[in-house]
Amino acid sequence: MTTEPFRKLDVTKIGKVEVAQFKDKKILDEGVLDELRVELFRLIADRPNLDLLLDFSNVEFMSSAMLGLLGQTHRKVNLLKGRLKMCGIAPQIYEVFKLTNLNKLFAIHKDAAEALAKF
Amino acid sequence: MDATTQANPLAGGGVTKQRRCVDVVIAEDSRIQAKMLERRLVEAGHTVRWAIDGAKALEMVRERRPAIIISDIEMPEMTGYQLCAAVKSDPLFKTIPLILLSTLSDPVDIIRGLDAGADNYVTKPYEPDYLLARMESLLDTPLEDLDETAGVVLEVTLAEQKFRVKAGRQQVLNLLVSTFENAVAKNKELIESNQSLSVAKTSLEKSNTILTELNEQVERSNARMIRDLHAAAKVQRSLLPGEAIAIPSMTVAWRYVPCQELAGDFLNIFPLDAEHVGMFVVDVSGHGVPSSLLAVTIGAFLTPKISDSSLLVRPGKNGGPPVVSGPAEVATRLNRIFQADEQAGLYFTLLYGVLHVPSGQLRFVSGGHPPLVRVPKEGPLELIECEGFPIGFVPDIEYEEQTIQLQPGDRIYLYSDGVPEAMSESLEQLGDDRMKALIESVRAQPLEANVVHLLDAVQTWCLPKGPLDDVSILGIEWHG
Repeated sequence: MTTEPFRKLDVTKIGKVEVAQFKDKKILDEGVLDELRVELFRLIADRPNLDLLLDFSNVEFMSSAMLGLLGQTHRKVNLLKGRLKMCGIAPQIYEVFKLTNLNKLFAIHKDAAEALAKF
Repeated sequence: MDATTQANPLAGGGVTKQRRCVDVVIAEDSRIQAKMLERRLVEAGHTVRWAIDGAKALEMVRERRPAIIISDIEMPEMTGYQLCAAVKSDPLFKTIPLILLSTLSDPVDIIRGLDAGADNYVTKPYEPDYLLARMESLLDTPLEDLDETAGVVLEVTLAEQKFRVKAGRQQVLNLLVSTFENAVAKNKELIESNQSLSVAKTSLEKSNTILTELNEQVERSNARMIRDLHAAAKVQRSLLPGEAIAIPSMTVAWRYVPCQELAGDFLNIFPLDAEHVGMFVVDVSGHGVPSSLLAVTIGAFLTPKISDSSLLVRPGKNGGPPVVSGPAEVATRLNRIFQADEQAGLYFTLLYGVLHVPSGQLRFVSGGHPPLVRVPKEGPLELIECEGFPIGFVPDIEYEEQTIQLQPGDRIYLYSDGVPEAMSESLEQLGDDRMKALIESVRAQPLEANVVHLLDAVQTWCLPKGPLDDVSILGIEWHG
Protein backbone atom coordinates (compact mmCIF):
# COMPACT_ATOMS: atom_id res chain seq x y z
CA MET A 1 0.00 0.00 0.00
CA THR A 2 1.14 3.50 -0.75
CA THR A 3 2.35 5.64 2.13
CA GLU A 4 0.93 8.86 0.68
CA PRO A 5 -1.54 10.22 3.26
CA PHE A 6 -5.26 10.41 2.60
CA ARG A 7 -6.93 13.81 2.77
CA LYS A 8 -10.51 12.72 2.76
CA LEU A 9 -10.25 9.44 4.65
CA ASP A 10 -8.99 8.33 8.04
CA VAL A 11 -7.65 4.87 7.37
CA THR A 12 -6.83 2.47 10.20
CA LYS A 13 -6.31 -1.23 10.13
CA ILE A 14 -8.22 -3.17 12.76
CA GLY A 15 -7.29 -6.85 12.63
CA LYS A 16 -7.42 -7.64 8.93
CA VAL A 17 -10.06 -5.01 8.16
CA GLU A 18 -9.19 -1.64 6.60
CA VAL A 19 -11.46 0.87 8.26
CA ALA A 20 -11.88 4.03 6.18
CA GLN A 21 -13.70 6.84 7.91
CA PHE A 22 -14.95 9.74 5.80
CA LYS A 23 -13.58 12.97 7.24
CA ASP A 24 -16.10 15.30 5.61
CA LYS A 25 -19.35 16.36 7.22
CA LYS A 26 -20.81 17.10 3.84
CA ILE A 27 -20.27 15.01 0.75
CA LEU A 28 -22.20 17.18 -1.65
CA ASP A 29 -20.14 18.83 -4.34
CA GLU A 30 -18.48 17.07 -7.23
CA GLY A 31 -14.98 18.18 -6.18
CA VAL A 32 -15.22 16.27 -2.88
CA LEU A 33 -16.66 13.30 -4.74
CA ASP A 34 -13.80 13.26 -7.24
CA GLU A 35 -11.21 13.34 -4.46
CA LEU A 36 -12.98 10.58 -2.59
CA ARG A 37 -13.10 8.48 -5.75
CA VAL A 38 -9.34 8.81 -6.23
CA GLU A 39 -8.61 7.98 -2.59
CA LEU A 40 -11.01 5.04 -2.31
CA PHE A 41 -9.69 3.51 -5.53
CA ARG A 42 -6.14 4.04 -4.29
CA LEU A 43 -7.02 2.29 -1.05
CA ILE A 44 -8.52 -0.67 -2.89
CA ALA A 45 -5.83 -0.63 -5.61
CA ASP A 46 -5.52 -4.26 -6.69
CA ARG A 47 -5.68 -5.80 -3.26
CA PRO A 48 -7.30 -9.23 -3.44
CA ASN A 49 -9.51 -10.40 -0.55
CA LEU A 50 -9.66 -6.88 0.89
CA ASP A 51 -11.96 -6.47 3.86
CA LEU A 52 -13.11 -2.86 3.77
CA LEU A 53 -15.34 -1.03 6.22
CA LEU A 54 -16.58 2.43 5.26
CA ASP A 55 -17.43 4.46 8.34
CA PHE A 56 -19.95 7.29 7.76
CA SER A 57 -20.15 8.52 11.36
CA ASN A 58 -18.79 12.00 10.51
CA VAL A 59 -21.09 12.46 7.53
CA GLU A 60 -24.19 14.60 8.04
CA PHE A 61 -25.10 15.34 4.43
CA MET A 62 -24.53 13.26 1.35
CA SER A 63 -25.64 13.77 -2.22
CA SER A 64 -27.12 10.85 -4.09
CA ALA A 65 -24.23 11.07 -6.57
CA MET A 66 -22.12 9.50 -3.79
CA LEU A 67 -24.13 6.32 -4.26
CA GLY A 68 -22.54 5.92 -7.68
CA LEU A 69 -19.11 5.92 -6.09
CA LEU A 70 -20.23 3.44 -3.44
CA GLY A 71 -21.54 1.23 -6.24
CA GLN A 72 -18.18 1.39 -8.01
CA THR A 73 -16.37 0.64 -4.75
CA HIS A 74 -18.69 -2.30 -4.10
CA ARG A 75 -18.04 -3.67 -7.56
CA LYS A 76 -14.26 -3.33 -7.31
CA VAL A 77 -14.07 -5.00 -3.91
CA ASN A 78 -16.31 -7.85 -5.07
CA LEU A 79 -14.29 -8.43 -8.22
CA LEU A 80 -11.19 -8.82 -6.04
CA LYS A 81 -13.09 -11.32 -3.87
CA GLY A 82 -13.04 -8.92 -0.96
CA ARG A 83 -15.83 -7.84 1.39
CA LEU A 84 -17.32 -4.35 1.78
CA LYS A 85 -19.36 -3.21 4.75
CA MET A 86 -20.64 0.19 5.82
CA CYS A 87 -21.49 1.63 9.23
CA GLY A 88 -22.35 4.77 11.15
CA ILE A 89 -24.91 5.98 8.61
CA ALA A 90 -27.07 8.81 9.99
CA PRO A 91 -30.86 8.34 9.64
CA GLN A 92 -31.30 11.10 7.05
CA ILE A 93 -28.57 9.54 4.91
CA TYR A 94 -29.96 6.07 5.39
CA GLU A 95 -33.11 7.44 3.75
CA VAL A 96 -31.12 7.95 0.53
CA PHE A 97 -30.07 4.30 0.63
CA LYS A 98 -33.63 3.20 1.33
CA LEU A 99 -35.12 5.34 -1.40
CA THR A 100 -32.88 3.71 -3.96
CA ASN A 101 -33.15 0.23 -2.40
CA LEU A 102 -29.40 0.21 -2.00
CA ASN A 103 -29.78 -0.63 1.68
CA LYS A 104 -30.50 -4.09 0.30
CA LEU A 105 -27.41 -4.19 -1.87
CA PHE A 106 -24.88 -2.98 0.67
CA ALA A 107 -24.03 -4.62 3.99
CA ILE A 108 -24.92 -1.83 6.40
CA HIS A 109 -24.31 -2.01 10.15
CA LYS A 110 -25.09 0.26 13.07
CA ASP A 111 -21.53 0.96 14.16
CA ALA A 112 -17.95 -0.14 13.60
CA ALA A 113 -17.99 -2.68 16.44
CA GLU A 114 -21.03 -4.44 15.02
CA ALA A 115 -19.62 -4.35 11.47
CA LEU A 116 -16.18 -5.65 12.52
CA ALA A 117 -17.81 -8.58 14.32
CA LYS A 118 -19.50 -9.59 11.05
CA PHE A 119 -16.35 -9.83 8.92
CA MET B 1 57.58 52.93 -11.44
CA ASP B 2 59.13 56.00 -12.98
CA ALA B 3 62.71 56.39 -11.93
CA THR B 4 62.44 60.18 -11.65
CA THR B 5 59.45 59.95 -9.37
CA GLN B 6 61.19 57.46 -7.19
CA ALA B 7 64.35 59.50 -6.94
CA ASN B 8 62.58 62.76 -6.20
CA PRO B 9 59.17 62.49 -4.62
CA LEU B 10 58.75 66.26 -4.69
CA ALA B 11 58.86 66.25 -8.47
CA GLY B 12 55.15 65.32 -8.67
CA GLY B 13 53.85 63.68 -11.85
CA GLY B 14 56.25 61.85 -14.04
CA VAL B 15 57.83 63.56 -16.99
CA THR B 16 57.92 60.66 -19.36
CA LYS B 17 55.09 59.76 -21.70
CA GLN B 18 55.98 56.09 -21.42
CA ARG B 19 54.43 53.86 -18.87
CA ARG B 20 54.08 56.21 -15.98
CA CYS B 21 54.26 54.71 -12.53
CA VAL B 22 53.57 57.12 -9.74
CA ASP B 23 52.90 57.21 -6.03
CA VAL B 24 49.21 57.63 -5.21
CA VAL B 25 47.54 58.45 -1.90
CA ILE B 26 43.94 57.33 -1.57
CA ALA B 27 41.72 58.82 1.12
CA GLU B 28 38.67 56.60 1.41
CA ASP B 29 36.78 55.48 4.51
CA SER B 30 35.19 52.52 2.78
CA ARG B 31 37.64 49.67 3.00
CA ILE B 32 36.07 47.77 0.14
CA GLN B 33 36.07 50.71 -2.22
CA ALA B 34 39.64 51.60 -1.25
CA LYS B 35 40.80 48.05 -1.90
CA MET B 36 39.07 47.91 -5.28
CA LEU B 37 40.66 51.17 -6.34
CA GLU B 38 44.04 50.16 -4.95
CA ARG B 39 44.00 46.90 -6.89
CA ARG B 40 43.20 48.69 -10.11
CA LEU B 41 45.97 51.25 -9.55
CA VAL B 42 48.52 48.60 -8.65
CA GLU B 43 47.58 46.69 -11.80
CA ALA B 44 48.32 49.86 -13.73
CA GLY B 45 51.77 49.90 -12.16
CA HIS B 46 51.32 52.57 -9.51
CA THR B 47 52.25 52.42 -5.85
CA VAL B 48 49.42 53.11 -3.48
CA ARG B 49 49.10 54.30 0.06
CA TRP B 50 45.66 54.15 1.56
CA ALA B 51 44.39 56.43 4.34
CA ILE B 52 41.11 55.82 6.09
CA ASP B 53 40.33 59.53 6.37
CA GLY B 54 41.54 62.99 5.36
CA ALA B 55 43.72 63.49 8.42
CA LYS B 56 45.63 60.24 7.86
CA ALA B 57 45.97 61.09 4.18
CA LEU B 58 47.46 64.48 5.02
CA GLU B 59 49.97 62.77 7.30
CA MET B 60 50.96 60.48 4.44
CA VAL B 61 51.34 63.42 2.07
CA ARG B 62 53.62 65.15 4.56
CA GLU B 63 55.56 61.98 5.15
CA ARG B 64 56.29 61.56 1.45
CA ARG B 65 54.96 63.69 -1.35
CA PRO B 66 52.74 61.63 -3.71
CA ALA B 67 52.29 62.32 -7.40
CA ILE B 68 48.53 62.48 -7.03
CA ILE B 69 45.81 62.30 -4.39
CA ILE B 70 42.43 60.62 -4.85
CA SER B 71 40.00 61.46 -2.09
CA ASP B 72 36.48 60.56 -1.12
CA ILE B 73 34.42 63.49 0.23
CA GLU B 74 32.43 62.13 3.17
CA MET B 75 34.91 60.84 5.74
CA PRO B 76 35.28 61.05 9.50
CA GLU B 77 38.00 63.27 10.99
CA MET B 78 38.79 65.30 7.88
CA THR B 79 36.50 65.47 4.82
CA GLY B 80 37.70 65.45 1.26
CA TYR B 81 37.12 69.21 0.99
CA GLN B 82 39.15 69.84 4.14
CA LEU B 83 41.95 67.58 2.92
CA CYS B 84 41.92 69.36 -0.42
CA ALA B 85 42.00 72.79 1.21
CA ALA B 86 44.89 71.73 3.48
CA VAL B 87 46.90 70.36 0.56
CA LYS B 88 46.23 73.31 -1.70
CA SER B 89 47.06 75.90 0.93
CA ASP B 90 50.44 74.36 1.54
CA PRO B 91 53.01 75.84 -0.86
CA LEU B 92 54.93 72.56 -0.75
CA PHE B 93 52.01 70.43 -1.87
CA LYS B 94 49.66 72.73 -3.73
CA THR B 95 50.82 71.47 -7.10
CA ILE B 96 49.84 67.90 -6.28
CA PRO B 97 46.75 67.18 -8.37
CA LEU B 98 43.78 66.06 -6.32
CA ILE B 99 40.76 64.15 -7.60
CA LEU B 100 37.58 64.22 -5.56
CA LEU B 101 35.28 61.23 -5.70
CA SER B 102 31.84 62.78 -5.53
CA THR B 103 28.26 61.73 -5.90
CA LEU B 104 27.69 65.14 -7.53
CA SER B 105 24.17 65.25 -6.18
CA ASP B 106 24.23 69.03 -5.82
CA PRO B 107 25.76 71.79 -8.01
CA VAL B 108 27.10 73.31 -4.78
CA ASP B 109 29.43 70.28 -4.56
CA ILE B 110 31.32 71.53 -7.61
CA ILE B 111 31.79 75.04 -6.23
CA ARG B 112 32.73 73.61 -2.90
CA GLY B 113 35.35 71.47 -4.62
CA LEU B 114 36.58 74.41 -6.64
CA ASP B 115 36.72 76.49 -3.47
CA ALA B 116 38.77 73.77 -1.82
CA GLY B 117 41.05 73.74 -4.84
CA ALA B 118 40.19 70.33 -6.24
CA ASP B 119 41.54 69.64 -9.69
CA ASN B 120 39.10 67.07 -10.84
CA TYR B 121 35.85 65.35 -10.09
CA VAL B 122 34.97 61.77 -10.71
CA THR B 123 31.42 60.84 -9.91
CA LYS B 124 30.63 57.69 -8.02
CA PRO B 125 30.08 55.03 -9.07
CA TYR B 126 32.93 55.31 -11.57
CA GLU B 127 34.60 53.12 -14.13
CA PRO B 128 38.21 52.49 -12.94
CA ASP B 129 39.47 53.12 -16.49
CA TYR B 130 37.78 56.51 -16.51
CA LEU B 131 39.47 57.43 -13.24
CA LEU B 132 42.83 56.28 -14.62
CA ALA B 133 42.28 58.40 -17.72
CA ARG B 134 41.53 61.45 -15.55
CA MET B 135 44.71 60.75 -13.60
CA GLU B 136 46.78 60.57 -16.80
CA SER B 137 45.44 63.84 -18.07
CA LEU B 138 46.16 65.60 -14.79
CA LEU B 139 49.66 64.20 -14.66
CA ASP B 140 50.18 65.40 -18.25
CA THR B 141 49.77 69.03 -17.27
CA PRO B 142 51.82 69.74 -14.17
CA LEU B 143 50.25 72.53 -12.18
CA GLU B 144 53.48 74.36 -11.32
CA ASP B 145 53.71 75.52 -14.95
CA LEU B 146 50.33 77.18 -14.83
CA ASP B 147 50.41 79.02 -11.63
CA GLU B 148 50.15 82.51 -13.07
CA THR B 149 46.72 83.27 -11.66
CA ALA B 150 47.38 81.82 -8.24
CA GLY B 151 46.29 84.15 -5.54
CA VAL B 152 43.32 85.59 -7.48
CA VAL B 153 40.16 85.15 -5.45
CA LEU B 154 36.82 84.89 -7.19
CA GLU B 155 33.52 85.20 -5.40
CA VAL B 156 30.76 82.92 -6.56
CA THR B 157 27.21 82.80 -5.26
CA LEU B 158 25.31 79.61 -5.73
CA ALA B 159 22.09 78.57 -4.06
CA GLU B 160 22.26 81.62 -1.80
CA GLN B 161 25.68 80.59 -0.58
CA LYS B 162 28.82 82.62 -1.15
CA PHE B 163 31.98 80.83 -2.09
CA ARG B 164 35.39 82.34 -2.32
CA VAL B 165 37.24 80.48 -5.02
CA LYS B 166 40.97 80.93 -5.23
CA ALA B 167 42.01 78.30 -7.64
CA GLY B 168 44.50 78.61 -10.46
CA ARG B 169 43.17 78.91 -14.01
CA GLN B 170 44.30 75.44 -14.99
CA GLN B 171 42.65 74.06 -11.89
CA VAL B 172 39.38 75.77 -12.71
CA LEU B 173 39.61 74.61 -16.26
CA ASN B 174 40.41 71.02 -15.27
CA LEU B 175 37.59 70.98 -12.82
CA LEU B 176 35.09 72.43 -15.26
CA VAL B 177 36.18 69.99 -17.95
CA SER B 178 35.81 67.09 -15.57
CA THR B 179 32.41 68.34 -14.49
CA PHE B 180 31.38 68.68 -18.09
CA GLU B 181 32.69 65.20 -18.88
CA ASN B 182 30.80 63.87 -15.94
CA ALA B 183 27.67 65.57 -17.15
CA VAL B 184 28.22 64.10 -20.62
CA ALA B 185 28.74 60.64 -19.12
CA LYS B 186 25.60 61.01 -17.02
CA ASN B 187 23.70 62.25 -20.04
CA LYS B 188 24.86 59.21 -22.00
CA GLU B 189 23.64 56.98 -19.20
CA LEU B 190 20.33 58.82 -19.23
CA ILE B 191 19.99 58.38 -22.98
CA GLU B 192 20.79 54.72 -22.60
CA SER B 193 18.20 54.21 -19.87
CA ASN B 194 15.77 56.18 -22.00
CA GLN B 195 16.43 53.80 -24.84
CA SER B 196 15.94 50.75 -22.62
CA LEU B 197 12.74 52.36 -21.34
CA SER B 198 11.53 52.84 -24.86
CA VAL B 199 12.42 49.21 -25.67
CA ALA B 200 10.54 48.12 -22.53
CA LYS B 201 7.60 50.27 -23.59
CA THR B 202 7.50 48.66 -27.02
CA SER B 203 7.65 45.19 -25.51
CA LEU B 204 4.91 46.18 -23.05
CA GLU B 205 2.77 47.38 -25.93
CA LYS B 206 3.39 44.07 -27.70
CA SER B 207 2.43 42.08 -24.58
CA ASN B 208 -0.65 44.24 -24.26
CA THR B 209 -1.65 43.45 -27.82
CA ILE B 210 -1.09 39.74 -27.17
CA LEU B 211 -3.13 39.97 -23.97
CA THR B 212 -5.94 41.74 -25.77
CA GLU B 213 -5.90 39.06 -28.46
CA LEU B 214 -5.93 36.31 -25.83
CA ASN B 215 -8.78 38.05 -24.08
CA GLU B 216 -10.71 38.17 -27.31
CA GLN B 217 -9.98 34.48 -27.83
CA VAL B 218 -11.28 33.69 -24.34
CA GLU B 219 -14.38 35.74 -25.05
CA ARG B 220 -14.88 33.97 -28.36
CA SER B 221 -14.43 30.53 -26.72
CA ASN B 222 -16.75 31.61 -23.97
CA ALA B 223 -19.37 32.72 -26.46
CA ARG B 224 -18.92 29.45 -28.35
CA MET B 225 -19.28 27.44 -25.15
CA ILE B 226 -22.43 29.33 -24.23
CA ARG B 227 -23.79 28.68 -27.74
CA ASP B 228 -22.85 24.99 -27.40
CA LEU B 229 -24.46 24.88 -23.99
CA HIS B 230 -27.65 26.40 -25.36
CA ALA B 231 -27.56 23.94 -28.26
CA ALA B 232 -27.00 21.03 -25.85
CA ALA B 233 -29.83 22.25 -23.65
CA LYS B 234 -32.04 22.38 -26.75
CA VAL B 235 -31.12 18.78 -27.60
CA GLN B 236 -31.96 17.85 -24.06
CA ARG B 237 -35.31 19.61 -24.23
CA SER B 238 -36.14 17.38 -27.20
CA LEU B 239 -36.32 14.56 -24.64
CA LEU B 240 -39.31 16.26 -23.05
CA PRO B 241 -42.95 16.02 -24.10
CA GLY B 242 -44.01 18.09 -27.09
CA GLU B 243 -46.11 21.21 -26.70
CA ALA B 244 -49.55 19.63 -26.70
CA ILE B 245 -50.03 16.17 -25.33
CA ALA B 246 -53.44 15.03 -26.42
CA ILE B 247 -54.13 11.54 -25.23
CA PRO B 248 -57.76 10.44 -25.16
CA SER B 249 -59.20 9.56 -21.74
CA MET B 250 -56.29 11.27 -19.97
CA THR B 251 -55.14 14.62 -18.72
CA VAL B 252 -51.42 15.25 -18.50
CA ALA B 253 -49.49 18.01 -16.72
CA TRP B 254 -45.76 18.29 -16.20
CA ARG B 255 -43.03 20.63 -15.04
CA TYR B 256 -39.31 20.33 -15.45
CA VAL B 257 -36.79 22.77 -13.96
CA PRO B 258 -33.11 21.98 -14.37
CA CYS B 259 -30.89 23.46 -11.61
CA GLN B 260 -28.20 24.21 -14.18
CA GLU B 261 -28.36 24.80 -17.91
CA LEU B 262 -27.81 21.09 -18.51
CA ALA B 263 -29.63 18.56 -16.41
CA GLY B 264 -29.53 14.92 -15.48
CA ASP B 265 -33.32 14.71 -15.26
CA PHE B 266 -35.76 14.19 -18.06
CA LEU B 267 -39.28 12.95 -18.40
CA ASN B 268 -41.74 12.08 -21.11
CA ILE B 269 -45.15 10.62 -21.82
CA PHE B 270 -46.39 9.36 -25.18
CA PRO B 271 -48.63 6.75 -26.79
CA LEU B 272 -46.81 3.51 -27.50
CA ASP B 273 -49.55 2.06 -29.66
CA ALA B 274 -53.30 2.41 -29.99
CA GLU B 275 -53.96 1.29 -26.40
CA HIS B 276 -50.81 1.92 -24.40
CA VAL B 277 -49.25 5.06 -23.03
CA GLY B 278 -45.65 5.05 -21.79
CA MET B 279 -44.42 7.50 -19.16
CA PHE B 280 -41.18 7.95 -17.29
CA VAL B 281 -38.99 10.14 -15.15
CA VAL B 282 -35.24 9.55 -15.39
CA ASP B 283 -32.73 11.04 -12.98
CA VAL B 284 -29.04 10.70 -13.89
CA SER B 285 -26.75 11.22 -10.89
CA GLY B 286 -24.83 14.49 -10.86
CA HIS B 287 -25.44 17.53 -13.02
CA GLY B 288 -23.87 19.36 -15.90
CA VAL B 289 -22.36 18.09 -19.13
CA PRO B 290 -21.50 14.46 -18.20
CA SER B 291 -24.92 13.77 -16.69
CA SER B 292 -26.67 15.53 -19.53
CA LEU B 293 -24.74 13.56 -22.17
CA LEU B 294 -25.75 10.34 -20.49
CA ALA B 295 -29.36 11.56 -20.28
CA VAL B 296 -29.44 12.20 -24.03
CA THR B 297 -27.94 8.76 -24.70
CA ILE B 298 -30.53 7.08 -22.50
CA GLY B 299 -33.24 9.13 -24.21
CA ALA B 300 -32.41 7.52 -27.55
CA PHE B 301 -33.46 4.15 -26.12
CA LEU B 302 -36.63 5.45 -24.50
CA THR B 303 -38.43 6.42 -27.67
CA PRO B 304 -41.90 5.39 -28.83
CA LYS B 305 -40.69 5.40 -32.44
CA ILE B 306 -40.67 1.80 -33.54
CA SER B 307 -37.09 0.86 -34.20
CA ASP B 308 -34.47 -1.65 -33.25
CA SER B 309 -32.90 0.80 -30.81
CA SER B 310 -36.15 1.57 -28.99
CA LEU B 311 -36.49 -0.49 -25.87
CA LEU B 312 -40.16 0.49 -25.56
CA VAL B 313 -41.70 -0.67 -28.81
CA ARG B 314 -40.27 -3.27 -31.16
CA PRO B 315 -41.37 -4.07 -34.68
CA GLY B 316 -43.82 -6.97 -34.80
CA LYS B 317 -42.67 -10.32 -36.12
CA ASN B 318 -43.44 -11.09 -39.77
CA GLY B 319 -44.96 -7.66 -40.34
CA GLY B 320 -47.35 -8.06 -37.42
CA PRO B 321 -48.36 -5.19 -35.12
CA PRO B 322 -45.61 -3.55 -33.02
CA VAL B 323 -44.90 -5.08 -29.65
CA VAL B 324 -44.94 -2.93 -26.48
CA SER B 325 -42.27 -4.05 -24.01
CA GLY B 326 -43.22 -4.55 -20.39
CA PRO B 327 -41.72 -2.05 -17.90
CA ALA B 328 -39.62 -4.69 -16.13
CA GLU B 329 -38.12 -5.80 -19.42
CA VAL B 330 -37.25 -2.19 -20.26
CA ALA B 331 -35.46 -1.69 -16.93
CA THR B 332 -33.61 -5.00 -17.21
CA ARG B 333 -32.36 -4.16 -20.70
CA LEU B 334 -31.40 -0.59 -19.74
CA ASN B 335 -29.40 -2.00 -16.85
CA ARG B 336 -27.52 -4.25 -19.23
CA ILE B 337 -26.66 -1.33 -21.50
CA PHE B 338 -25.76 1.31 -18.92
CA GLN B 339 -23.32 0.07 -16.29
CA ALA B 340 -22.04 2.83 -14.00
CA ASP B 341 -18.54 1.37 -14.07
CA GLU B 342 -18.27 2.14 -17.74
CA GLN B 343 -19.56 5.70 -17.34
CA ALA B 344 -17.40 7.23 -14.59
CA GLY B 345 -19.67 6.15 -11.76
CA LEU B 346 -22.72 7.83 -13.27
CA TYR B 347 -25.85 5.82 -12.72
CA PHE B 348 -29.52 6.71 -13.01
CA THR B 349 -32.82 6.06 -11.39
CA LEU B 350 -35.90 5.49 -13.45
CA LEU B 351 -39.59 5.11 -12.95
CA TYR B 352 -41.23 3.75 -16.05
CA GLY B 353 -44.91 3.05 -16.36
CA VAL B 354 -47.12 1.64 -19.11
CA LEU B 355 -50.81 2.45 -18.87
CA HIS B 356 -53.32 0.34 -20.72
CA VAL B 357 -55.71 3.15 -21.48
CA PRO B 358 -58.90 1.15 -22.08
CA SER B 359 -58.64 -0.71 -18.76
CA GLY B 360 -56.76 1.71 -16.50
CA GLN B 361 -54.20 -0.92 -15.65
CA LEU B 362 -50.83 0.66 -14.84
CA ARG B 363 -47.72 -1.49 -14.83
CA PHE B 364 -44.57 0.17 -13.63
CA VAL B 365 -40.99 -0.53 -12.66
CA SER B 366 -38.61 1.41 -10.45
CA GLY B 367 -34.87 1.46 -10.77
CA GLY B 368 -34.01 2.96 -7.39
CA HIS B 369 -36.51 5.76 -8.03
CA PRO B 370 -38.76 7.43 -5.42
CA PRO B 371 -42.25 5.85 -5.19
CA LEU B 372 -45.08 7.16 -7.29
CA VAL B 373 -47.95 9.04 -5.67
CA ARG B 374 -51.45 7.85 -6.27
CA VAL B 375 -54.29 10.27 -5.56
CA PRO B 376 -57.53 8.31 -5.79
CA LYS B 377 -60.65 10.21 -6.72
CA GLU B 378 -61.76 9.57 -3.17
CA GLY B 379 -59.77 8.55 -0.12
CA PRO B 380 -56.26 9.19 1.15
CA LEU B 381 -53.34 9.48 -1.24
CA GLU B 382 -50.61 6.86 -1.08
CA LEU B 383 -46.99 6.31 -2.05
CA ILE B 384 -46.58 3.11 -4.05
CA GLU B 385 -43.11 1.62 -4.11
CA CYS B 386 -41.61 -0.89 -6.44
CA GLU B 387 -38.30 -2.31 -5.38
CA GLY B 388 -35.34 -2.23 -7.72
CA PHE B 389 -31.75 -1.03 -7.71
CA PRO B 390 -30.75 2.08 -9.61
CA ILE B 391 -29.89 1.34 -13.23
CA GLY B 392 -26.21 0.56 -13.65
CA PHE B 393 -25.48 -0.65 -10.14
CA VAL B 394 -25.69 -4.40 -10.29
CA PRO B 395 -24.99 -6.19 -13.56
CA ASP B 396 -27.40 -8.70 -14.98
CA ILE B 397 -30.29 -8.41 -12.59
CA GLU B 398 -33.91 -8.94 -13.50
CA TYR B 399 -36.21 -6.08 -12.54
CA GLU B 400 -39.70 -6.78 -11.29
CA GLU B 401 -42.76 -4.69 -11.95
CA GLN B 402 -45.85 -3.67 -10.03
CA THR B 403 -49.37 -3.48 -11.37
CA ILE B 404 -52.05 -1.16 -10.05
CA GLN B 405 -55.62 -0.75 -11.19
CA LEU B 406 -56.70 2.86 -11.62
CA GLN B 407 -60.24 4.02 -11.06
CA PRO B 408 -61.74 6.79 -13.19
CA GLY B 409 -60.62 10.14 -11.80
CA ASP B 410 -57.46 8.74 -10.19
CA ARG B 411 -54.29 10.76 -10.47
CA ILE B 412 -50.72 9.49 -10.56
CA TYR B 413 -47.59 11.56 -9.97
CA LEU B 414 -44.12 10.63 -11.07
CA TYR B 415 -41.30 12.89 -9.87
CA SER B 416 -37.57 13.04 -9.33
CA ASP B 417 -35.92 13.09 -5.91
CA GLY B 418 -35.47 16.84 -6.39
CA VAL B 419 -38.99 17.12 -4.93
CA PRO B 420 -38.87 15.20 -1.63
CA GLU B 421 -35.16 15.91 -1.13
CA ALA B 422 -35.46 19.64 -1.81
CA MET B 423 -33.17 21.28 0.74
CA SER B 424 -34.10 24.39 2.70
CA GLU B 425 -31.55 27.02 3.66
CA SER B 426 -31.24 25.34 7.06
CA LEU B 427 -30.54 22.03 5.25
CA GLU B 428 -33.91 20.50 6.08
CA GLN B 429 -35.47 18.28 3.44
CA LEU B 430 -39.00 18.82 2.20
CA GLY B 431 -39.70 15.13 2.84
CA ASP B 432 -42.45 12.72 1.80
CA ASP B 433 -44.97 13.88 4.39
CA ARG B 434 -44.84 17.54 3.38
CA MET B 435 -44.95 16.54 -0.30
CA LYS B 436 -48.07 14.47 0.31
CA ALA B 437 -49.68 17.27 2.31
CA LEU B 438 -48.96 19.75 -0.50
CA ILE B 439 -50.69 17.54 -3.06
CA GLU B 440 -53.52 16.80 -0.66
CA SER B 441 -54.16 20.48 -0.02
CA VAL B 442 -55.05 21.25 -3.64
CA ARG B 443 -56.40 17.91 -4.84
CA ALA B 444 -59.80 19.43 -5.57
CA GLN B 445 -58.19 21.67 -8.20
CA PRO B 446 -57.34 20.66 -11.76
CA LEU B 447 -54.24 18.53 -12.36
CA GLU B 448 -52.27 21.37 -13.94
CA ALA B 449 -52.81 23.57 -10.86
CA ASN B 450 -51.63 20.70 -8.66
CA VAL B 451 -48.37 20.29 -10.55
CA VAL B 452 -47.71 24.04 -10.55
CA HIS B 453 -48.50 24.24 -6.84
CA LEU B 454 -46.03 21.46 -6.03
CA LEU B 455 -43.27 23.05 -8.10
CA ASP B 456 -43.88 26.47 -6.52
CA ALA B 457 -43.71 24.90 -3.07
CA VAL B 458 -40.39 23.20 -3.87
CA GLN B 459 -38.90 26.43 -5.17
CA THR B 460 -40.13 28.40 -2.17
CA TRP B 461 -38.75 25.72 0.17
CA CYS B 462 -35.29 26.16 -1.38
CA LEU B 463 -35.19 29.97 -1.10
CA PRO B 464 -33.06 32.00 -1.34
CA LYS B 465 -30.65 29.90 -3.37
CA GLY B 466 -33.18 27.85 -5.30
CA PRO B 467 -33.15 24.06 -5.81
CA LEU B 468 -29.74 22.34 -5.87
CA ASP B 469 -31.15 19.47 -7.89
CA ASP B 470 -33.22 19.17 -11.03
CA VAL B 471 -36.94 19.07 -10.35
CA SER B 472 -39.23 16.93 -12.50
CA ILE B 473 -42.93 16.38 -11.93
CA LEU B 474 -45.26 14.43 -14.22
CA GLY B 475 -48.93 14.07 -13.32
CA ILE B 476 -51.66 12.13 -15.12
CA GLU B 477 -55.35 11.78 -14.55
CA TRP B 478 -57.20 8.80 -15.99
CA HIS B 479 -60.77 9.56 -16.87
CA GLY B 480 -61.81 5.96 -17.50
